[in-house]
Amino acid sequence: MRVEYQQSLDMIEASLQEQGALVLRAVRGAMNALEAQDIELCDEVIAFDDEIDDRYHRMEKSIEELLALQAPVAADLRLVLAVLHNSIHLERIGDHAVTIAKLTKLTAAFEPRHDLVEGLREMADRAEEMVRAALDAFATRDVARARSLVELDELIDRTNRRVVGTVLSMAASPEQQEWGMRMIIVARSLERIGDKAVDIGEQTEFVATGEFHEFSDASH
Amino acid sequence: MTQMETPSIDSSRIAEISLSSSREEIERREQVFTVEDLGVAYSGNVALAGVTMNVYANTVTAFIGPSGCGKSTYIRCFNRMNDLIVGAAVTGSVRYHASDLYGREVDPVEVRRRVGMVFQKPNPFPKSIFDNVAFGPRVLGWKKGLDERVEQSLRQAALWDEVKDRLSESALGLSGGQQQRLCIARALATEPDVILMDEPASALDPIATGRIEDLMHDLKREYTIVVVTHNMQQAARVADMTAFFSVDMHEDGRGRHGVLVEYDATTKIFTQPADRRTEDYVTGRFG
Repeated sequence: MRVEYQQSLDMIEASLQEQGALVLRAVRGAMNALEAQDIELCDEVIAFDDEIDDRYHRMEKSIEELLALQAPVAADLRLVLAVLHNSIHLERIGDHAVTIAKLTKLTAAFEPRHDLVEGLREMADRAEEMVRAALDAFATRDVARARSLVELDELIDRTNRRVVGTVLSMAASPEQQEWGMRMIIVARSLERIGDKAVDIGEQTEFVATGEFHEFSDASH
Repeated sequence: MTQMETPSIDSSRIAEISLSSSREEIERREQVFTVEDLGVAYSGNVALAGVTMNVYANTVTAFIGPSGCGKSTYIRCFNRMNDLIVGAAVTGSVRYHASDLYGREVDPVEVRRRVGMVFQKPNPFPKSIFDNVAFGPRVLGWKKGLDERVEQSLRQAALWDEVKDRLSESALGLSGGQQQRLCIARALATEPDVILMDEPASALDPIATGRIEDLMHDLKREYTIVVVTHNMQQAARVADMTAFFSVDMHEDGRGRHGVLVEYDATTKIFTQPADRRTEDYVTGRFG
C-alpha cells in the first residue's frame, strides 16, 4: 500500500470539495448582489474570483506532480482526470458568478422588474442545488444521483425560457430594454452553471464505471 | 418554430485518433500460441495452473504479476525450456501455429531455434562479438552468407553502428545494455519467429532500458514478442496485450500456485481492469 500516494489522492478530492464550497459562495454572493443591487458586494464577488482561480491553479499543479511522480493508473487515473475536469468546471462556474456581478453593476441605475428577478432567483437556487448535488454524488460515487441532474437541469432551462419570454415582452418599454437584455445574459450564466453541474455528474459516472457518457446530447 | 431536420454529417471526414490497438484488432491477428488449461509442476508441486490464452503474431505480449505468480515458469513453456528442469511436468496444451508444441515428434532444439529467448542478465559467450552472433547459424550448419547474416542481426538489434569496427573484440567488453542487444542479435540470427524476453531490462540503466523498449517496438513488425516484466510501466509502454498473473492457495490449503487473472489489451488493463486483483496490483495496492 502506497500511503503517501493514497494521501495525495485524498487531498485532491478534499481540495475539490473546498473549491466547490468557494464557488457556491460566489454564486450566492452574486445573486444577493443582484437582488439588492449592491455594488459593493458585486466588487467583492469579482475580487473573490482570484481566490477561486488560485485554487484551480494549485489543483492543476498538484495533479501535474501526481501524474509525474506517482503515475496513477486504472481507477486512480480516472479519479485524477475527473478531479482536474471538475476543477475546471468549478472555475468556470466562478466566472459565471463574476459575469452576474458585472452585469449587476452595469444595471444598478435601472428599476428591476420583480417577477423577472424572482425567476432569476429561482434559477440560481436550482443551479446552486445542482452544483451541491453534483459534488456530493462525486464524493460518494453515486451514479444514479449524478444522472438525476439532467432532470434538474431541465427545470432551469424551462425557467430560462420563461425569463427570455418576459424580456421580449418588455421590448415596448425602452427604459427597461437595456436592463432586460442584460438580465438575459444573467439567465444564460445561470443556465450554464446548471450545465456545468451536469458535466461534473458525467465525471462521477466515469470514475465509478470507467465509461464516459454525455448525459444529454448536444441537440438538447 | 418548425422542427429542424437533423443535418446528415459525413463523419468519415472527421479524423479518428487512436493511440493503441484495440483487443478486437489484435485478436484478428494470427494465433502464434494457443494455450489451453496449461499447468506446470516441479516434482509434483504445482507452480502454475489452468492457464488458457492466445498469443498473437506481430504483437508484444507482456506478463506481469508479483513474485511467485508463475510468469517466468509460464514463458518457459513457449520454448520448452521447462524440459531442461528435472522433475518439471507440463499439463494441458500449447499449440504453436496450430501444431502441438509438446508432441512426440517435435524436436525441442528446433522449437528453441524458432522461439528464441533473451534472459534477465545478458549472457554473451566469452567469444568475439561476431562469433556470438554467428554461433547459432554455425551450429545449424548455415555457412553461406554468414557475414551478411551477422550484420543484419546486429542491425535489427540496433547494435551494428556501435560495434561494426570491433567485431573481433570480446563481447565481454561491451556495456550491459550492449550485451543485452547482442543477446537479442544472437537470438535473431537463427531466424526465429518469436522472441521471449524474461525481464530483459531489469539489470539495465534507464537509457539502455529505453533502447531495448524501442527495439521491441521495431521488432514486432517482423516477430512476435513475449516479455515478462516486473516493471509495470514497461509493460504499459511496450505491450499491446498484457496478462496479469497472481498467486492462489492450493485447494487443500497447503502451498500456493500461479494463476492467470486477466488478459486484455494493455490499455484496458491499465485504465479499466475487469478484476479487482488486477486493479489492486496495477495501482500498487497489492498485499
